[in-house]
Amino acid sequence: MNRTPEEMVREIEILSGQRIADCYQCGCCSAGCPIGTAMEPPPSKAIRLLQLGRVEELLESEGIWLCASCLVCGTRCPRGVDYARIAEACRLLVLRTKRSVVDPDVVVPADLEDVPQQAFIASFRKFSV
Amino acid sequence: MRLLYYPGCTLYSKAQNLDRCGRKTAERLGVTLDELPSWNCCGAIFNTGSDDLAGQVGPVRVLAKASQLGDKLVTLCAACYNVLKRARARLDAPGNKLERQRIVEFLDEKMERDVKVVHYLEVLKQDIGWEAIRSRVVMPLHNLKVASYYGCLMVRPREVLDFDDPDNPMVMDELVATLGGEPVRFEFKTECCGGYLVVNRREVAEGCSMRVVDNARNWGAELIVTTCPLCQYNLEIAQKRGRAEAQIVPVLYFTQLLGLALGLPQKDLGFEDNKLDPVGFLKEKGLL
Amino acid sequence: MKRVGVFICHCGINIAGVVKVPELKERVKNIDGVVSCVDYVYCCSDPGQKLIRDTIKAEKLEGVVVACCSPSLHEATFRKACEEAGLNRYLCEIANIREQCSWVTADRDAATSKAEGIIATIVEKVRHNQPLERVRVPMVKRCLVVGAGIAGIQAALDVANAGYEVVLVEKEPSIGGHMAQLSETFPTLDCSQCILTPRTVEAGRHPKIKLLTYSEVVDISGFVGNFRVKIRQKPRYVDIEKCTGCGICLEKCPVRVDAVFDRNLTRRRAIYRLFPQAVPNKVVIDADSCRQLQGKKCGVCAKVCPADAIRYDDQERFIDEEVGAIVLATGYELFDLSRLGYYGGGAVPDVIDGLAFERILSASGPFGGEVRRPSDGKVPKRVVFVQCAGSRDSTQGVPYCSKICCMYTAKHALLYKHRVHDGEAIVCYIDVRTPGKGFEEFYRRATDEGVKYLRGKVSKIFRQGDKVIVWAADTLAGKKIEIEADLVVLATAVVPNPAGVALARKLKVALDSNGFQTEAHPKLKPVETLTAGFFLAGCGQGPKDIPETVAQASAAAAKVLSMFGTTELFHEPVVAEVDEEVCVGCGNCQRTCAYEAVKVDPQRGKAVVQTAMCEGCGACAVSCPSGAINLKNWTKEALGRMVDVWR
Repeated sequence: MNRTPEEMVREIEILSGQRIADCYQCGCCSAGCPIGTAMEPPPSKAIRLLQLGRVEELLESEGIWLCASCLVCGTRCPRGVDYARIAEACRLLVLRTKRSVVDPDVVVPADLEDVPQQAFIASFRKFSV
Repeated sequence: MRLLYYPGCTLYSKAQNLDRCGRKTAERLGVTLDELPSWNCCGAIFNTGSDDLAGQVGPVRVLAKASQLGDKLVTLCAACYNVLKRARARLDAPGNKLERQRIVEFLDEKMERDVKVVHYLEVLKQDIGWEAIRSRVVMPLHNLKVASYYGCLMVRPREVLDFDDPDNPMVMDELVATLGGEPVRFEFKTECCGGYLVVNRREVAEGCSMRVVDNARNWGAELIVTTCPLCQYNLEIAQKRGRAEAQIVPVLYFTQLLGLALGLPQKDLGFEDNKLDPVGFLKEKGLL
Repeated sequence: MKRVGVFICHCGINIAGVVKVPELKERVKNIDGVVSCVDYVYCCSDPGQKLIRDTIKAEKLEGVVVACCSPSLHEATFRKACEEAGLNRYLCEIANIREQCSWVTADRDAATSKAEGIIATIVEKVRHNQPLERVRVPMVKRCLVVGAGIAGIQAALDVANAGYEVVLVEKEPSIGGHMAQLSETFPTLDCSQCILTPRTVEAGRHPKIKLLTYSEVVDISGFVGNFRVKIRQKPRYVDIEKCTGCGICLEKCPVRVDAVFDRNLTRRRAIYRLFPQAVPNKVVIDADSCRQLQGKKCGVCAKVCPADAIRYDDQERFIDEEVGAIVLATGYELFDLSRLGYYGGGAVPDVIDGLAFERILSASGPFGGEVRRPSDGKVPKRVVFVQCAGSRDSTQGVPYCSKICCMYTAKHALLYKHRVHDGEAIVCYIDVRTPGKGFEEFYRRATDEGVKYLRGKVSKIFRQGDKVIVWAADTLAGKKIEIEADLVVLATAVVPNPAGVALARKLKVALDSNGFQTEAHPKLKPVETLTAGFFLAGCGQGPKDIPETVAQASAAAAKVLSMFGTTELFHEPVVAEVDEEVCVGCGNCQRTCAYEAVKVDPQRGKAVVQTAMCEGCGACAVSCPSGAINLKNWTKEALGRMVDVWR
């Protein structure tokens, strides 16, 4: 990615339909995220990184691949910022460089045989190219 | 009453018990669910990227096909409900005229009319009514303490889904009460089970699911009912892997519970597909 | 024909930069009736006004047109200048050639032509104007104060101490408002009742204050200086002349209901005193919960009362008062907990709001001043204080900051630590706002004495066993935090008292989108409204703490006193007048008038204008099918001529 951080943030804003500057860093999203401490950076911190132009850092983090799209963050946000859409926009930026994070060819160990296919479809839609 | 019905891919295979019980209980209650002919997968999760038009094609095609046959489409799966309703809203959003045009032009199927997407729970409450259901209960649930788990896809995003009270939905609880059970108030009704993270980050999904189960158990639940195949799977598998038998809380689809109460034969209830066998528990409670 | 003088103002380059003034002057001199045309750089300046006065005298002018900026800016200035020169002020009119001409185009020729047209029409108007005298409005020098919390009490005392009568109306059975519910006040930790009661007692026995408790304002009609107020006094079912406040009835009444004063943490009887220091210190019977009044047999209080003060046959009374000025001091309420579903929705006994915690801290509260929790009365060892519960939240609450919560939360946490030495106090916040005198130091004191501050807005609060779980975050360290608490206190948003909102709507006093009463100007007129005669004090106008409330109340009183300090009020004379020979009494004007200023006299069958209430809008003149009503100096004849001369 040879774009400037400002350009990338702008693209994330367009893809997600959210304004990064709207966030006043209250932390409610991080407080309510069911993934909890397993997500690093948590939602408010992720937005902070974008506000500071530290885009590469966020795109290389693990946190954006741990979002389950449950939408509690956006629902509770007093400013109406939907972090789930922002995380998805960040993931799209990575996926569109042809980099899958969940590889369909690799993923099926035996104990996943019973997993309902909606889970696979959803996982590949969110995490694969 | 005949209603157009969209099963979705998972109900055809891994969640046949949810589907079968849904159709048969509907029949018992005077509703025929007519399956939408040659339907396609809705996509299982809604894509939110603003330029992601390809992801909208699947659900919009379902709506277009449905629109040629009626103005209401019933789903049993919470994920399908979520995706179809959001696809509809996105298509109709005032700022999305260009996007709508491109998708509509791309599709062969024409959108004949507005299609309202409803969940079977809404049909039970509004079209059939609790009184009618209560009068057909042959196996009341003997005040079984049941926690109704809605999950996140049924209630969020709030403005688009407009389903019940997003902080404390009660429609499934009302169904439990109608069937003679005791709905258990617990605090994780709409917390995420971990969803599709079970594919690549199983332990994270297990953590989420266990919190839901533990909270329900903490509040005295003897049974949990779900409305989504993925929630059902996650809640069951997390317990199967991580809990001693004595502490396990069985998990059923709400249609299985409804079928049980309405007197469907055991072979139709599909307990063999449950990861946590509920038969022993139900016999103990005098319900089988 | 009137000799009219025109004064063209350059307004620096605002007008002269667009309008070609020399050319305009020549064209204006040709307008019928114009005998003098002068231009000047800034007419509103002292030399400019002197120029106007001198020209009036020199040219013996009988009418003046000042072509300048909008009349809302300087009409009064120029009218005063004319008056000083001996010309009736209503023979001076403004031709707006700035906002309506030079400021809307860059085309110089078009601007100059339009300016000529505007001036021509205004000259024609002045030629038709009659000299008028301002209407004198007699003033009733009595003041109504609605609401007797600390704001209403302060305003009432200030006006009464100046020697004027005040009618102080309060809907609760006692005065004192929410301040009476508080335990200690920040930043001094003064006992709230101790600083409030001297005021309430003074108000209760002030010779100039007529105190009407358990009463509500039902309607207000009239206009500034002459309001007619209808007040409904609810029946107490107790003769307050006889009641001594001994309290025997309180012990014997068999009924128990939730005590709203204690935020439903305790039970009171059907006959009750709002709080021990109530003013008036008398009891009242709540008809909805009293057995006797609900038709079932009881009558215990009447039997035990040594003063024979119980009156089951009491009725509501309607009281009419005439006042000249009104102060609205209707106060606030707290955001309804049931709207915060993710914080338990008000259904969790150990999740309470700030006023409830005040009652717990209070010596006259549910636990006599010991900090215990509502569910089981145990002493909580860990209390979480949640700020911004509903405030600063445009999606699920109110968009504004409620101003007082950061301070009272610090106070709550500090007082909790003082009483439960081994207790842990955690405050979950987004920001800590400490703008007042001694406030930052107070917050420092709280942190110094061990109150823990965690920066992150709480997402979810729920019960688990006998604990309350709080999902919070520490944004400074970047992590989600789950806290197991014994008690949670929510700093809920301050919202306007619904009774105050309803009253303002009925009286057509402006409210903002949040229901707070709107001041006439946000910076320069914080206690006046756009409705003449209505003043604002306290939280009804916006959230604020006690020092600000008291300051605003005294300010409102000062406005009232400056009104009462004059002998009479003046009202603009550009009002409607009825030609009784033409009027047929159809009543169209009455139906049209928004100010209820014109009514058909039923005896004579003619419309009559109440000049003090008429705002000169002209709607009646338009609606009259016979053309019997005209506005003074805005007659239909004059308007017709003004249209004719437009070029």
